[in-house]
Amino acid sequence: MITEQEFTNIYNLHASKIHRLCLGYASGNNELAKEWLQETFIKVWKHRNSFKGKSSIDTWIYRIAVNICLGDLRKSRKSITINEDLLSNSSYDDNNDNNEGNIKKMYHCIDQLNEQNKALILLELENIPQTTIADTVGLAHGTLRTRLSRIRKSLLKCITNGK
Amino acid sequence: MENDNLNKLWDIQANDISNFNPKDIITKAKKQRNGQYISISVMSLTVIVLIIYAFYYVFNQWNTFNLGLILMISSLTLRIILEFYSLYRKEKQLISMAQKSYFAYLKKYYKTRQMINFVITPICIAVYIFGFYLLLPYFKDYFSKGFYTYILISGFLSLIFVIAIIIKSTIKEQSFLKQLHK
Repeated sequence: MITEQEFTNIYNLHASKIHRLCLGYASGNNELAKEWLQETFIKVWKHRNSFKGKSSIDTWIYRIAVNICLGDLRKSRKSITINEDLLSNSSYDDNNDNNEGNIKKMYHCIDQLNEQNKALILLELENIPQTTIADTVGLAHGTLRTRLSRIRKSLLKCITNGK
Repeated sequence: MENDNLNKLWDIQANDISNFNPKDIITKAKKQRNGQYISISVMSLTVIVLIIYAFYYVFNQWNTFNLGLILMISSLTLRIILEFYSLYRKEKQLISMAQKSYFAYLKKYYKTRQMINFVITPICIAVYIFGFYLLLPYFKDYFSKGFYTYILISGFLSLIFVIAIIIKSTIKEQSFLKQLHK
């Protein structure tokens, strides 16, 4: 059973990663990403008794987050609406326009991927260990590595060439 | 662009989650849970009252008014129970399945939903309308002409409103199912 204090620690540890994961799923729609983030942690709290420790708590939370992003019917209405607020202040410099353009391109290219590949690359970009990613999406580790390398290549190509 | 730059570019995004805190989330989760308990209690109570009414009253004084009432309430109850059950099942799978299995489950889920939307829901609506139709002669006898007209108009308007909501959600679910099959 997860206590309130444990839940707070879990939230502080994972919230920012899950927010960015959802941001990728929502093609930069921050409002939708925040809603999904909130929904993820509401479900974590509501179902904390059903977590039996068969997988790690990280895997369990990422599964919930990825499944929420995957199953939301409003996804079809999403739009790439990145604004300056989505760019970190530390990197806010003359290259800002360029960064914004590249991130827009990145969202667009991620959006071209199928649902599973989308989840794989978004988790990978958040530096989540590959074993956790494999458990989250339900793939063998070997398959995951090959798949990730292919997705990275196609994503780079898409961002550079625009397709 | 280098492979590493992909991560650098990704890291440029800021995290605007300042207006959330874990305590608020716990409060919201508790509120949601209480809401679910209340809905389930109300539904259970309705079903119990319906069963008691059917066994102890309707079968002793059987008439078309009772039949109409039973048809209306039971078709509505059945549809609501079905909705709750399918949402409960979906949430249970959401928290326990890996993405690959959940993706397959969602396809199956929305196919079943189509069956509910195109077969069970129209039957429930037809039964509801028939039940309402059986009540009308009684309403005509007991109420004034003005009030009877009001019941008639408001009954049909609310039915049209409900049907419009169902059609809207059916279209949404269908387009989502198409998206899943892409």
